[in-house]
Amino acid sequence: MQLLGIWVAAFLTLCIYSFLYKDNPLYRFAEHLFVGISVGYGIVLSIHQGFLPLAWKPFWEAITFQDTSGFWVIIPIAFGLLFFARLSPRHTWLIRYPIAILIGYGSGIAIPNVLRANIFEQTRGTLEPFGKIARETVAANGNIIPPLTPFEIVGAILMVIGVVCTLTYFFFSVEHRGPIKGLSKVGIAFLMIGFGSAFGNTVMGRVALLIQRMDFLMFDWIASIGTIFSSIF
Amino acid sequence: MKRQIPLALCFLFGVVMIFTQFSPHPVSKSIYERVISGALIIGPFALVLATITLIQTHINRIQRRTEHWGYSFVVFAGLITMVAIGVPFGPENPVFVWLYTNVQVPMDATMFSLLAFFIASAAYRAFRARSTEATLLLVTALIVMLGNVPVGDLIWNTILSWTGFENQASAARGWILDNPNLSARRGIILGVSLGVISQSIRIILGIERSYLGGGD
Repeated sequence: MQLLGIWVAAFLTLCIYSFLYKDNPLYRFAEHLFVGISVGYGIVLSIHQGFLPLAWKPFWEAITFQDTSGFWVIIPIAFGLLFFARLSPRHTWLIRYPIAILIGYGSGIAIPNVLRANIFEQTRGTLEPFGKIARETVAANGNIIPPLTPFEIVGAILMVIGVVCTLTYFFFSVEHRGPIKGLSKVGIAFLMIGFGSAFGNTVMGRVALLIQRMDFLMFDWIASIGTIFSSIF
Repeated sequence: MKRQIPLALCFLFGVVMIFTQFSPHPVSKSIYERVISGALIIGPFALVLATITLIQTHINRIQRRTEHWGYSFVVFAGLITMVAIGVPFGPENPVFVWLYTNVQVPMDATMFSLLAFFIASAAYRAFRARSTEATLLLVTALIVMLGNVPVGDLIWNTILSWTGFENQASAARGWILDNPNLSARRGIILGVSLGVISQSIRIILGIERSYLGGGD
């Protein structure tokens, strides 16, 4: 079974790499199989990790009077079923109900969390190093953190300049002229460094995956050919 | 009825989710957890609808004999196989795990690794240092790429050993990622977050209604 798995994986890997030559039936076969398998996998996970434990189990326990507190799941199940109104042209407007609930829920949950995690925490992270310039601080694990070195102070100042200038670049309520234009130009420089870093990391991530696939083909797959030959002869 | 009730539901759920997060009262916590469970129950129905739409699209392709229509059967084969094994027997079933490990994971990794080739040609176009900004992008990406692999430090230690510093390629990468890169990211995160908050308020208050779609 393991050997078959290696050969199936190698065949599909080569099918996808055949696209490097040109679009061809082998690539299209692998591409469509990938879509089908991925969607199937998503459905199975959402049923077994979402619907069954959260909806079906409490619902079943409620209707069999094992635990009547689960009756409330009928409400979200009913709203969820309204998604299928999309399939009937006359009743398609009913899909707005579950969508509105999910959008309202998402918006409501986003406001406090985004405020806390993205605004307060990021601002704190930007300004916090200035509290460590001249004195020792104690970390959460009790370790003593020494004051910042001159090099780290430069980094902290650069951080504030970068954040302010990047925000200025995205601030469209005033015309970018004079000092604002200067700040926004510095912001562009920081953004380019950020995009360059992201690009470099992405390239290296993709190359690491390529190396991993080549490693699989060269060592696992080719080694399995030797295993087959040695078992035959 | 067709628009007012969805708007009211959106407002109600939005306001409830905001206020219950700020209140430590047990009733508030219970409501908060119930709403989260409710949303997690509603979500999978959307996935089922999306799957039905995918199936309809491929049935249409087969019926109309559009270009490459035969591959739609391959989509169905993959989908039906995974669902037929995974739904009744669970995701821990050995055959389901085998399909995941030997079909989905290798194809996923290969698809993403394929981008390594296309990203190289994109880099050639993007990295031509025509302006100061493009040069900054080019230099930063090169330093980050070289600093990511051991050969970067090897090159530094071989060519620039006379400077008296060692392994500065990875150190430069670390400094770029932790300082100018992080400051740009923080600027973007702060801007995006303010946008998310303002858009969320607009949605909850019913000013932004595009999610309701057209019609009456």
